[in-house]
Amino acid sequence: MPPQNDPAMSVGSQSPPTTRIANGDEVVIITHEDVDRAHDRVRVSAARAQRGFLSHARLLWLLVGPGVLVMLGENDGPSMLSYAATGAKFGVGFFIPFVALTFCMAIVVQEMTVRLGAATHRGHAELIFDRFGPFWGWFSMIDLAIGNFLTLITEFIAIRAGMGFFGVRPWVAILIAFVILYAALMSHRYWTWERITLAAAVFNLVFIPVALMTHPNWHSVGHALITWQPLPGFNKDTLLIVLADIGATVTPWMLFFQQSATVDKGMTRKDIHFGRFDTALGAALATAAAVATILATAPLFAHQMTADNFQAAEFAQALQPLIGRFGASLFALGMVEAGIVAAITISTSSAYAFGEVTHKPHSLNLPMGEGKSFYAVLSLCAMAAAAIVLIPGLPLVYVVLVVNVVAVLAMPPALVFLFMLVNDKEVMGDLVNPLWANIVSTGVVFLLTGAGVLFGVSIVAPNIFAALGGK
Amino acid sequence: MVKKEHAPVLISSSDQSLVLSSLEHDQLARAKRHFIPRRHLKGPELLVLWSLRIYLLFMMAVVGYQVWVAVR
Repeated sequence: MPPQNDPAMSVGSQSPPTTRIANGDEVVIITHEDVDRAHDRVRVSAARAQRGFLSHARLLWLLVGPGVLVMLGENDGPSMLSYAATGAKFGVGFFIPFVALTFCMAIVVQEMTVRLGAATHRGHAELIFDRFGPFWGWFSMIDLAIGNFLTLITEFIAIRAGMGFFGVRPWVAILIAFVILYAALMSHRYWTWERITLAAAVFNLVFIPVALMTHPNWHSVGHALITWQPLPGFNKDTLLIVLADIGATVTPWMLFFQQSATVDKGMTRKDIHFGRFDTALGAALATAAAVATILATAPLFAHQMTADNFQAAEFAQALQPLIGRFGASLFALGMVEAGIVAAITISTSSAYAFGEVTHKPHSLNLPMGEGKSFYAVLSLCAMAAAAIVLIPGLPLVYVVLVVNVVAVLAMPPALVFLFMLVNDKEVMGDLVNPLWANIVSTGVVFLLTGAGVLFGVSIVAPNIFAALGGK
Repeated sequence: MVKKEHAPVLISSSDQSLVLSSLEHDQLARAKRHFIPRRHLKGPELLVLWSLRIYLLFMMAVVGYQVWVAVR
């Protein structure tokens, strides 16, 4: 017997899709994508049926993925460069606990996408289009498409710059990135794609040994974590870094990606606890890597070295006298990894969203023949962004900071759609947002909007900050 | 108008029963072709959505201005 859906949920309570065959019988329409997903679910059911620590650990292994990927994927080229710029400009202080706080915000927001995906088995773009209509749907898609494309450009800049540290030519660096991207895709299995990308994403933790090589002052780190001090000066540069660091942890593509990946993985209501753990685990790993990056470049602040014109490779070069060639190489490799993993996840999020709004097949379980449009959108996004990066003379640091700022500005409208969906009883049934989550998430919207407004004021009327005691 | 459909992929009967026993109905790829019913947006919701849309457009203009100043 097929598993029954929860009667509390109207969206998921439909009967299976059927078609009438020549002899008049009704048969259920099943695709290759369904078969692959079913194989994954059988392993989950088998692990769930057994008792004991090992079975529980196996279940966890089978169900982690979208959360870790989205969080480590968001520790991308521009994000790591923002953290590096933060450490080099402000050293150890306010920004260490601030970055940890932004990841807590990310957990609250991303958990909602797990519930939405598991409850409806629909992607985020699809739900916005169907529920609120194409007018608002297209606004949301345009925000996503512009944000994703700009971010993808910066991922390839990070890859190019990181490999540049080793003397690799830009076109070779881009080629290597594409080889890895297609190696993950060629399996045409969500599970294999997820494991390959996870293996690459874990390399994000390479910033931790780099930080240890700089011999951080742990007393200062502890003091900063508890007191949030020393505080940075209140000026335009600080605001830009604040926005860039927020944009390094919460961005619209994350909402679309994690919900679509949750659906593609086949997660159901029973798996939501594991989805939450997956998200929190990803956030913890990403926080560790982000804080490590700030600590790694903090010595540049102590040595009064300006970071205004540093690119990814130049941060590594600047650190070389302090941590040696090996440490600097790890830093550069970390930048390459950050760019590659994000290029994979962001281009996949664009392809998912395109398939969802056009109602064309959209799954990493699709064979190439059945998912032509899905793989074409994924490849075209990545190729166009990579081509732009091969143009010489792009001002990297400024571009990446602006990209993160754009991500923060686009986040409040995306969050409002998310809240409306996750509070929609007809869609979510008994999984609607609890009150505390609504309060926290409303606070996140106000914080993001407020930060955006302050940034706007700092640009339009910079003298206001001087009048308030800043520079 | 008749819509062109791809030829159905041959799925073995064992795979069919595997799918039906392990996936929920609405997890099937073809089930996603059904639209979810549209929701009527209320006044306050429209106000919030339009306010944020205007905010975003204004802020993008500010970012554009900042980039223009930086380039100059």
